[in-house]
Amino acid sequence: MVKVTVCIGSSCHLKGSRQVVEELQYIVKRKNLGEDVELSGAFCMGKCAEKGVSVTVNGKYYAVDPAAVEEFFDDVIVKAING
Amino acid sequence: MELYLESGYTSLNKAGEELCGDRVKVADDGEYTTLVLADGLGSGVKANILSTLTSTILCTMVSGGVSIEECVDTIIQTLPVCKERGVAYATFTVIHVNREGKGYMFEFDNPEAIYITNGKCRDFERVPHKYEGKTVYITELDLKPNDYIVTMSDGVIHAGIGMILNFGWLRKDVIEYLDKSVKPYMSAGAVACLLASACNDLYLDKPGDDTTVAAVRIREAVHVNIMVGPPVDKTKDDFYIARFLEGDSKKIVCGGTSSTIVARYLGTQVKADFDFPDKDVPPIGHIDGIDLTTEGVLTLRKLVELSEKYLSHSDLTPKSFVGKRDGASMLAEMLFEEATHVKFFVGQSINAAHQGLPIDITMKLKLVDTISDHLRRAGKQVEVYYD
Repeated sequence: MVKVTVCIGSSCHLKGSRQVVEELQYIVKRKNLGEDVELSGAFCMGKCAEKGVSVTVNGKYYAVDPAAVEEFFDDVIVKAING
Repeated sequence: MELYLESGYTSLNKAGEELCGDRVKVADDGEYTTLVLADGLGSGVKANILSTLTSTILCTMVSGGVSIEECVDTIIQTLPVCKERGVAYATFTVIHVNREGKGYMFEFDNPEAIYITNGKCRDFERVPHKYEGKTVYITELDLKPNDYIVTMSDGVIHAGIGMILNFGWLRKDVIEYLDKSVKPYMSAGAVACLLASACNDLYLDKPGDDTTVAAVRIREAVHVNIMVGPPVDKTKDDFYIARFLEGDSKKIVCGGTSSTIVARYLGTQVKADFDFPDKDVPPIGHIDGIDLTTEGVLTLRKLVELSEKYLSHSDLTPKSFVGKRDGASMLAEMLFEEATHVKFFVGQSINAAHQGLPIDITMKLKLVDTISDHLRRAGKQVEVYYD
């Protein structure tokens, strides 16, 4: 099980965290990975200055561009599932 | 039990009129609340002047402790006489009651006020008195917690007349509607808005007469503490949080960093929700021991929008937010509907990454200012501490 946490604090909300959340939920459903990925939210991760929405995958930090969620999913999350 | 008195009203203008011929005045001296609903003869400017005079005179005199007879006498002698109709005329209801629910009400030609007790509508025991040939009905009041008085102008019982109803909406229909629709958690303002909104529907959105509903309720006091933002001095976090958590008031935490430090103090963690009941408002969070946890500035900004509508006496958006699940509506329900006393604990620590964005510290302080002002206008006792 890969644990993915998306920041939904003020700053990330302005940068598009809702879009990231909804897209991740959609991709997980489409790829039928509900058993392998656990999505959750977190208040401010203290990385407001990063360019992009704060996301952690199994505790490791990433700044995600809301326009490139699919790529992020394939690059990072799918790898974490297989690794 | 600490008791509190709240009042609220909603007015609809006759379709096409800029001014309302009904007028509500409220005075509160900390012990007694005086509420006057006056309905001036006719509509438009003339009615507005009559009802403004009547309500202002009565409210000032009654709250100043002048006898009913003298008040009525003054009104009769003061009102200008209408040239067309040859009479000076405004109908009125005056409620004068203290926080223990004791006081009196007197009514002249307005529809009979409705007494809601144990969730059911009743009639008051009214005693007629003659003053200068006019009959004024006087009621001794002895209200229990969660009792409402609902008073209205005749636009309410005439709603729908000749449009979708032959004879308008009779008093028994109004009572049936209130019995069915009033929920025990609703504030006086929420009940007034509910009834006015039903009238507006019967008028098909074009009221044939000025329509006003005013309500008063005795209720238990509810204290709410709300923390917005972390304090400047990080080394004193624990001191400030302990002060915020003191007492048996309800607790609200707004903001990511604030929630994190409060959770740490309580030896637990913030769990964030993951759905967006309203797309403009970030999801809420949960901390064991805290009644409501929300994001900060964006949620507060939405709360300002909601509270502007809440305060409006002509907006018919329901005043009760029960059932809504976004952070701003939940805040509005707790602060504007549930609370009687609100204490703000505002931390002025600056999040460097927020500066320059529309969520910086100036914005936050401005929002707290506006919201506390709105709460005062809604009749709440508000205190604000800056740390």
